[in-house]
Amino acid sequence: MNQFGVLLKKEWREHVRNYKILWLPAVFVLFGIIEPVTQYFLPQIIESAGNLPEGAVFEFPTPEPEQVLVSVMGQYQFIGLIILILAYMGAVAGERRSGTATLLYVRPLSYPAYFLSKWVMAVSAGLASVWLGFLGAAYYIWLFFGDIAAGDFLQFAASYSLWIILFLTIVLTASAALPHQGLAAAVAMALVFAAQILDSLLGVYWTASPLKLPAYAQSWLAGAPDAGDFWWSSVLAVLLTLLFIGLGIWLSKRNAAQTKV
Amino acid sequence: MSLLEVKKLTKRYGEELAVEDVSFELTERTSTALIGPNGAGKTTTLSMLAGLLKQTEGSISWHNGTGIGFLPQYPQFFPWLTALEFTEMAAKISGVEAKKARAQSVRTLEFVGLGNAKDKKAGAFSGGMKQRLGLAQAIVHQPKLLLLDEPVSALDPSGRREIMNLLKSLREDTTILYSTHILNDAEEMTDQLLFLQHGKLVEQGSLKDVKTRYAEPRIRVTFKDPESAGLFTGKAPWDAVRDGHIVYIPVKGGHPAIEEVMGYFAANPSGADGVERQTASLEEIFLKVAGRQ
Repeated sequence: MNQFGVLLKKEWREHVRNYKILWLPAVFVLFGIIEPVTQYFLPQIIESAGNLPEGAVFEFPTPEPEQVLVSVMGQYQFIGLIILILAYMGAVAGERRSGTATLLYVRPLSYPAYFLSKWVMAVSAGLASVWLGFLGAAYYIWLFFGDIAAGDFLQFAASYSLWIILFLTIVLTASAALPHQGLAAAVAMALVFAAQILDSLLGVYWTASPLKLPAYAQSWLAGAPDAGDFWWSSVLAVLLTLLFIGLGIWLSKRNAAQTKV
Repeated sequence: MSLLEVKKLTKRYGEELAVEDVSFELTERTSTALIGPNGAGKTTTLSMLAGLLKQTEGSISWHNGTGIGFLPQYPQFFPWLTALEFTEMAAKISGVEAKKARAQSVRTLEFVGLGNAKDKKAGAFSGGMKQRLGLAQAIVHQPKLLLLDEPVSALDPSGRREIMNLLKSLREDTTILYSTHILNDAEEMTDQLLFLQHGKLVEQGSLKDVKTRYAEPRIRVTFKDPESAGLFTGKAPWDAVRDGHIVYIPVKGGHPAIEEVMGYFAANPSGADGVERQTASLEEIFLKVAGRQ
C-alpha cells in the first residue's frame, strides 16, 4: 500500500476511534433540524415563554421552504464553520505539538501523502456532515413547510460544498503553518470572517468570488444565479483550494522541525 | 566500514550556538554513547542526524542504503492506535512491503516483549511499555543505524535493565548511537564515546582510550574503621587521601605498585581489610571533563 493509503487509514481510524465520524455529522444534523422545527413551532415557543402583554397576538407569516433551508445555511455559516475549525485546527499543529508527528517525520515520509490524507478525510467528513445536515433539514422542511425541488436542492448543496471544501483547506493549511492549534483556529477564523465582512461591505464591486458561493447557492433555490458569476466563483474556489493544498504540503514539510522531540 | 560521517556539524538558533563544529564517524556494528550534561546539544545533534532539524553548517554523509531508526526520549504515540497498528504503519512508511509489514511488526513486538499487548491501544501503555513500543517502531524496518535519545533514562531500574539487554542483543547487526546520562549503561555498552559540552565535542575515542587518558590509577585501601584509616593516613609513606574508612593512594609513574602496598601492610598491620587497584570510573571522567570545561 502506498503512503497515502497507509496515512488515510490512520486518519480514518482516528475519526472512528475519537468518534469524530459520529459527532461531527450529529452536530450538523442537529443544527439542520433545529431550524425548521424552531421556525414551525415559533408561535407556541413565544406563547409558552410568557411575559406577553394581555391579549397580545403575533402573526407569523409561514416561511417558504426555500427560506428555511437558507436559514439552515446561515447557521452553518457561523456555528458550522466554528465547529469545523474546532474539529480540524489540530490536524497538523496538534500532532507536532504533542510529538506524535515525530515518529512519522523521522521516516522517508511523503509530505503530499501526509497532507492530502488529512485533507481527504477532513473534506469527506465535513461534506458528509453538511449534506446529512441539509438532508435532515430538508426532511423537516418537507414535513412542516412543503417540498423543495430535488434539482434545486442538489445545486444548492453542491455549490455550498465548494465553499466548505475551500474553508476546510484553509483550516488545514493554517494548522500546517502555525505552531499551535489555537493560533491556527484564530488565524483561520479571522481570515475567513474578515474576508466575509470585506465581501459584504465591498462585494458589490465584484461578482466572482468564492466568498459569494453561499449566496449563489442560495440563488439556486430562487431560480438560478448568474451563470458567469457562479462559474467564475467556482473556478476561483477550485484554484484557491489547489493553491492552499500546495501551500499546506509545503508548510507541513517546512515546519516539520517544530515537532516536539 | 563507515556508515555515517559527520563533518563540522553546527546548529545555530539566532545568535545562540546549540551545536558547534561536531565531527565524528560511525562504523558498522559499533555502539557509540553520546554523553554530556543537560543542554550540551545531544538531542539537537540526534535530531539533525534523524532529519528532524536542518544543520546550519556542516555535512552528514550516509553510506548508501543506510536506513535509520529513531527513538526520542519521550516517544509519543497516537493513543487510539494499537501497538500493532502503529508498528505496521511505521514499517510501511519506512518502505517495508505491505505483505511483509504485519508479520515483521508482530515479530518485532514479540522481540521487545509486547507480544501479548500488541492489540492494546498505545494510550493505555505505561512508560516502560511506551519505551518498548518506541524501540519496536525504531527497529521494525531493520535499519542499519539506530539513533536513541536517552533510551532508558525515564525507566525504573528493572525496565532499564530489560531495554539495555534488548539493545545489547541488537548490536550484532545494527550500529547504535545513543545519548545517555546513565554512565554505568554507557560503560556497559559502548565502543566509542562522544562527549559533548556546550555544543562542542570535547572528548571522543574508544572507551578504552578515554579511560586510559583519564585513568588516574590509584590503590584503594579499606580499613575496619575510620580511626585506623586516619592513623594510616598520618604516617603513610605515600600520598594518601582518606574518605571515611577508605584511603586512596594515587599511583604516579607506576608507583607505588600494589605489591609494595600489600608488603607494607604485611609488615605493619594497621587494621586494613582490603587492598585493590582502581582506575577512574566513567562517572569520574564525566565530572572531570565537565569540570575542565
